[in-house]
Amino acid sequence: MPAVPFILIQLAGSVIAILLVALLCAKLRLGDDVRLQGEAEARELAGLAVTGFEPSEVAIDRAGIGALLRDPQGRVMLLRRHGAQFAARLLDSHAFARLDRNFLTIGTDEQTFGQVTLDLGSEAQVWAASLRRLGGA
Amino acid sequence: MGKIGPVEMAIPFFITLIVIEMFWARRRAPSAYEPKDTLTSLALGVGSTVMGALTAGLVVAAALWLFQHRIATIGWAWWVWIACFVLDDFNYYWAHRTGHRVRWFWASHVNHHSSQHYNLSTALRQTWTGFFALSFVFRIWPAFIGFDPAMIATCGAVNLVYQFWIHTEAIRRFPPWFEAVMNTPSHHRVHHAINPLYLDRNYAGVFIVWDKLFGSFEGERDEVAIRYGIVKQLGTFNLLHSVFHEWIGIAKDLWSAPWGAKLGYLLREPGWTHDGSRDTSDTIRAKWLESRSE
Repeated sequence: MPAVPFILIQLAGSVIAILLVALLCAKLRLGDDVRLQGEAEARELAGLAVTGFEPSEVAIDRAGIGALLRDPQGRVMLLRRHGAQFAARLLDSHAFARLDRNFLTIGTDEQTFGQVTLDLGSEAQVWAASLRRLGGA
Repeated sequence: MGKIGPVEMAIPFFITLIVIEMFWARRRAPSAYEPKDTLTSLALGVGSTVMGALTAGLVVAAALWLFQHRIATIGWAWWVWIACFVLDDFNYYWAHRTGHRVRWFWASHVNHHSSQHYNLSTALRQTWTGFFALSFVFRIWPAFIGFDPAMIATCGAVNLVYQFWIHTEAIRRFPPWFEAVMNTPSHHRVHHAINPLYLDRNYAGVFIVWDKLFGSFEGERDEVAIRYGIVKQLGTFNLLHSVFHEWIGIAKDLWSAPWGAKLGYLLREPGWTHDGSRDTSDTIRAKWLESRSE
């Protein structure tokens, strides 16, 4: 039986080790259930994502998993939870939006960014209408 | 059996320290780690090791060629080791600085920055495309002036091992004399931050003095809450997207840019566009400073 090359043994060991470390991370419940702490945090994250983006309107999901923000120039930003952090994108005419009562499902043309469903309460319809005005929904 | 170098010898310690930091995080900062992020970082580390093993022969051959055509023979005296280590760290500084300021090199180095977390697993989040980007050129040239390639490789590996432990939020500050000379967790947190004040600062590997000498140093301020990652956060844990997204971005820009601007999308700083439609770290900082002065 031919000997297995050392590098393959190393590779197999590394893959097993990283899976065990990630499993431990999950078992310890690290990065679990992070939520937006409020409007101030949403504004801070928006400003870091797009320099000079100063929202005049902010709608935060009731559970804090994301937000929609609009600045005085009419630009709309989607902020959504990504693991234990948040990621943001400016929405353009390619944005996708679907309204179901208080729930607004939003996506971008960026496949890897995915979609998110936000519970915006009574504000959902207003935001859905404004997203339609962007031209894509 | 393959040769065991300083990095391979350190791997068990890396894993042990990551586990210890995870238990620290459970008590003190549960959001410091995230399972999918950790898995992505470590998978990038394993892939980087594989790519390194596959391309090491070519890098060694290039270094040996330079050594065969060397202009002097420096030897193996103890002081040569010190000189080689300091010179390699100097080279690391410029390789790293170029890795942030030239998009071609950034496309490779961005992998290390695309986690929104800053922990010991982030340290192992390394590129798969470093060889393709030719980043090694910055590190092997001392062979031409007479440093033995084996010594250069050892110094480079020790440099890499040193940089592992500074990727943590568990350590605040060291005594001032240490912070003044050495790269530390505090200095390197600044480097991984996306806060405008901190963008493209603290490129050092081992000695922070290079940043102080070349004007790229910024000290960590307690009043600034650091956010980590890249300005346009990935928003996905997709491994292949993490590896190749900036290369794909370059390809798209090269395709759509006018002829006169194409080279700029390769060689200018990340965020540069011929029509000014995106932000670079310099314009982000300038806008931020302007908004503060209003």
